[in-house]
Amino acid sequence: MTNHYIDLKNSDCILIMGSNAAEHHPIAFKWILRAKEQNGATLIHVDPRYTRTSARCDFHVPLRSGTDIAFLGGMINYIIANNKWFKDYVLNYTNASFIVGQDYFFKDGLFSGYDAKTRKYDKATWVLEKEGNGIPKRDMSLQNPRCVFQMLKEHYSRYTLEKVSSITGVSKEDLVKVYAAYSATGVPDKAGTECYALGWTHHTTGSQIIRTMSIIQLLLGNMGIAGGGVNALRGEPNVQGSTDHAILYNILPGYLKMPTGSLDTLEKYLHKCTPESKDPQSANYYQNYPKFFVSFLMSMFHDKATKENEFGYSWLPKMDDGAAYSLMHLFDKMYEGKIKGLFAVGTDPAVSSPNAGKVRKALEKLDWMVGENIFNNETYAFWKGPGVDPQKVKTEVFLLPASASMEKEGSQSNSGRWVQWKYKAAEAPGDAIPVGELTIKIMAEIKALYAKEGGVCPEPILNLKWDYTDYKGRFDSLKVAKQINGYFLEDTVIEDKDKKTKTEFKKGQLVPTFGNLQLDGSTSSGNWVMAGSFTAEGENKMAKRGKEDSTGLGLYPNWSYAWPVNRRIIYNRASCDVNGNPYNPKRKLLAWVGDKWVGDVPDGPWPPQANKEKGKYPFIMKQDGLGALFGPGMVEGPFPEHYEPLEGPLAQNPMSSQRINPAIKIFNSELDKVANADEKFPYVCTTYSCTEHWCSGAYTRWQMWLLEMQPELYVEIGEVLAKERGIKNAEKVKVSSVRGEVECVAMVTKRFRPFTVEGKTVHQVGLPFNYGWLFPEGGSDSTNLLTPTVGDANTFCPEYKAFMVNVSKL
Amino acid sequence: MKKMELVKLIDTTRCTACRGCQVACKQWNELPGLKTKNWGSYQNPPDLQWNTWTLIRFNEVADKDNRVKWLFRKDGCMHCTDAACVKVCPSGALYHTEYGTVGIHHERCIGCKECMAACPFEIPKYDRDTDKVYKCDLCYSRIKDDQQPACVKSCPTGALSIGAKDAMIKKAYDRVKKLGGDANVYGDQFVDGTHVIYVLQEKPEMYDHLPKHPRVPFSVVAWKDFLKPISLLAAGGVLAGSFLHYIIHGPKTPDDIQENKTQGGE
Amino acid sequence: MKKGMIQATDAFERITHWLLAISCLVLCITGLGMMFHSFNFVGTMMGGLKSLKYVHNFTALIFIVALYMAVRMWWKEAGVFVLPEDLDWIKAAGGYLWHVDKVPEVGKYNPGQKAFFLVVALCGSLMVVTGLIMWAPLIFPVWLVRWMYPLHALGFVAIFSFFFVHLYLGTIGSPGSAPAMFSGWVTRAWLLKQHPKWLKEMEEHGTLVVYGEEKESIEHGH
Repeated sequence: MTNHYIDLKNSDCILIMGSNAAEHHPIAFKWILRAKEQNGATLIHVDPRYTRTSARCDFHVPLRSGTDIAFLGGMINYIIANNKWFKDYVLNYTNASFIVGQDYFFKDGLFSGYDAKTRKYDKATWVLEKEGNGIPKRDMSLQNPRCVFQMLKEHYSRYTLEKVSSITGVSKEDLVKVYAAYSATGVPDKAGTECYALGWTHHTTGSQIIRTMSIIQLLLGNMGIAGGGVNALRGEPNVQGSTDHAILYNILPGYLKMPTGSLDTLEKYLHKCTPESKDPQSANYYQNYPKFFVSFLMSMFHDKATKENEFGYSWLPKMDDGAAYSLMHLFDKMYEGKIKGLFAVGTDPAVSSPNAGKVRKALEKLDWMVGENIFNNETYAFWKGPGVDPQKVKTEVFLLPASASMEKEGSQSNSGRWVQWKYKAAEAPGDAIPVGELTIKIMAEIKALYAKEGGVCPEPILNLKWDYTDYKGRFDSLKVAKQINGYFLEDTVIEDKDKKTKTEFKKGQLVPTFGNLQLDGSTSSGNWVMAGSFTAEGENKMAKRGKEDSTGLGLYPNWSYAWPVNRRIIYNRASCDVNGNPYNPKRKLLAWVGDKWVGDVPDGPWPPQANKEKGKYPFIMKQDGLGALFGPGMVEGPFPEHYEPLEGPLAQNPMSSQRINPAIKIFNSELDKVANADEKFPYVCTTYSCTEHWCSGAYTRWQMWLLEMQPELYVEIGEVLAKERGIKNAEKVKVSSVRGEVECVAMVTKRFRPFTVEGKTVHQVGLPFNYGWLFPEGGSDSTNLLTPTVGDANTFCPEYKAFMVNVSKL
Repeated sequence: MKKMELVKLIDTTRCTACRGCQVACKQWNELPGLKTKNWGSYQNPPDLQWNTWTLIRFNEVADKDNRVKWLFRKDGCMHCTDAACVKVCPSGALYHTEYGTVGIHHERCIGCKECMAACPFEIPKYDRDTDKVYKCDLCYSRIKDDQQPACVKSCPTGALSIGAKDAMIKKAYDRVKKLGGDANVYGDQFVDGTHVIYVLQEKPEMYDHLPKHPRVPFSVVAWKDFLKPISLLAAGGVLAGSFLHYIIHGPKTPDDIQENKTQGGE
Repeated sequence: MKKGMIQATDAFERITHWLLAISCLVLCITGLGMMFHSFNFVGTMMGGLKSLKYVHNFTALIFIVALYMAVRMWWKEAGVFVLPEDLDWIKAAGGYLWHVDKVPEVGKYNPGQKAFFLVVALCGSLMVVTGLIMWAPLIFPVWLVRWMYPLHALGFVAIFSFFFVHLYLGTIGSPGSAPAMFSGWVTRAWLLKQHPKWLKEMEEHGTLVVYGEEKESIEHGH
């Protein structure tokens, strides 16, 4: 979230799209309701299915799964055509006025630089023109046909109401209703926010859907303000915390980039990763990247890391250039027999991964698997699963009992980037210990073995700093947290030239802010965004529970620690005009008073940008300091474009001749079958969770109170389709895709209705993904036996939300 | 006896049917979850039962514009002032607490099920194993210690709240006024006022299993309020009549007994 | 036993009568225990109201058997009014309420007794039907079950009232009656007063059994 959960109450219009907030963020949903009650906010739910969220919104608009970019592209077109954009904001705080490079073009669904063979773009032409001094060219009149604004306008002028309606299945009236309500927030004193979750990320176009929304928010001036932002609702599975701490293969903690093979020296790596800006008004905060990265290396290798050995850079693993290592790649390689061992920690991929049938086959090819979890699950028990002969499975499985989150002390991150310290509520049963402790014990053993026996490349393991146990040899979460925050490794004097102050820190003190991190190896920080979660003296800010709220906007700055530097709303300088006066005096998030900012922790201390000498642009993490309407960040193009899902009801993309996202990876094993526009699988299917279960249900299916409420797999089918197929409510049916099938209960409902897409009727059905064969006995198997192995081109987040099935009576 | 009349307000316009209340109720009252099956609805168990004292009812309706609406209603004891169950309970197991709510002494319940037939909301449910009837007691064990009932405590959106009767009724009417349309307050005008009241977005008849005009059944009123005193009078009349008959008219004695008192086998 | 006593009832009749009477009495007392909170103490004496419920319910099974036996045995003698003599008796109120020179003669059972029998038979059946539904209310529609409670109570009021009248008239209200249901033997004088016609019939049919005399016949008439 750019903002945070409580801030939702400050909104005037909340677009919930790609999320079922009421069902999956029930606690946070109170702030959404509060916005409605206190500000009279309009709540809009755009979702293929009418859910418990729809029930609480002012209106629900159903759209066909996988057509979100078309829907939002139509909104961009509407905003520009109807002059709803926030001019002052767009002009000053976005790159609307920048001039797009001459070689850039877009034609029939493809951007310049595409290589069909590798399914990859060369981004060389996706650039903005610069003056001779290296500062970007701008046309503040926005009339230059090659300026970003005009290019944007041209690109989305193709997304007419007729076109969008025909693709999405949403009536033109409903489109206008949503566009009008939402774009009404493009004025200084109104805030509109967007809540999304897996409904957006689970698409082959997921990242670009979110980017489309970011463009809308920039056009309407909704970024960096109270009640605005683009807000990913992450939840109990701790997606926020795990991505902050590098759960993804392509990042290191704090979103630092994973090095690749060609970046074989620290210098090359830092050069590649550190952006440069010649514009004196761009803070370009990532110019400090080397400090964050070296401090990270210091936290890994500590006194073994020296300037001479590049702080141990060579000991970090490197990805092959151009290669990806996502969950889907991993199981693809495992299926090919190239992966021999697996640690499956707190996960149940035999239920939760796409094309679970392939995953289960892949598991059979392992020599060994180690599970760490609080319950057994379908992954650890795959060898006795449906259709598997245990005699023929050679995999040796170890299951280590882990304690649950309530049975250990530590931090938990919420979607608003709040990192909250919590204490142990109960003792874990039996031999269960925290996963952290399991990790520490296993790694200590591995270190001892390497020390004794040597091996290939032993240095990274032997030189790893690994002292995270207490005096009794148990996992010490506070020690880990402090290591993540970072230490001064030498006595250091921090000089502030502006304020003319000098602060002394002693060796062994904690780093109070990432601004203090050093390039010379004199500081460490396991995760730079967390530098500042402790004070230098060791006070744990994550454990703070102050309820003061000076702004009245629900920032609660003394409650826990929010990264970065306790900033509650990021890019908050954009809530003020170029002189630092709040756009919306009713919701003063920040104001430039005298010579300082008052309110939230500002994005840097510099004066507002009207001060040409010292002032800085508000989007300090961007190279150019401004919100990017045009940006080269995504792999499939600088402007989001609608592509059909890998499997859909249409043989052609109505927007272009590129049916699917040109940059997605296509998996080709014999189990990766695809059936697009195939009459054998005529219905669009989506998958989701239900309130009553958690993820794959591996925790919650053992809980009788929850199981009683949602006991078994069901498929929600609209009344029209049910009648057509002669299916009665509560009847057992079979749902099949080209990859697999599941038996489940038919839930015939008014909440799914047929769409009219490209002139023909398209039915959509949906199933939850919370069930597996292990428990309850005689229950249903995983919905992911149906889903395809394909994912977003940037993140490889699987496309669980749109594929094709058939539904038949048993 | 009456400390302060409490009223629990269920604002259905704030309910997201997360069912936290349904689980919190089971947790506090130590009620088990039982095996169920999907019967084509989110509503599960399908009805209140001995181990389910509160339940979110889901019903899908299409409005006049053919727009779908999904209505949620937290079902459970309404804690009537004129409580039919308390009226008919033979053992005094069901009783009015000092808060005006209807408590239940489970140890006194004899499982006669008369309350089940009497309740206009069909709330009490019977358990064969313990041969007793169960229902919500508005967490008497919590409210007597100034704690909110488990369901209220668990509600994330503020759909549930509890407080002094007058304040809660006012809150309900204020809310309805703000909502407009068909919104209405349900409960305060029935059975001398229930201690659980609803703010309904739609007319009561739109909701599943919600009586439009709940009242103590006529059979209960007829018996408890009219026939019972009359029958007492009748029974008393018979006793008195017999006595009067004996002293006024005298027994009907065979003639030879009058002649010879020694005869007759008493 | 005095010589000259006449047998009014046989053992089977008396067993049936007492089975019915005792089960009815137990049902009345236990029923009262559930009907009025002030009678809950009856339950306490039985180890709690729950035990009382079981006593009530299972006594009801005995009552059902007894009621069946009684109806089968008595319905011809006591279940049918004989006109015009029964009407005459009723007009005179059997001589119970005001002085009547000559009470109209009726047979073995006078209309009062017949009425009592009918009340027991009909209200008893009502009690059985309503009681059984109340015992298993969950398998019946609730609107039906709801009416079972007042009907059961009404039946109780009727039976209780008649029961008391019966008790009074069978004992102090009509001296000499009680032995008919204890030993089965009554005096000729009592018969002459209460059931002169029956006496005559027995004499005519030769079915009269007199203590100390040779038995002429022990067959009785149902």
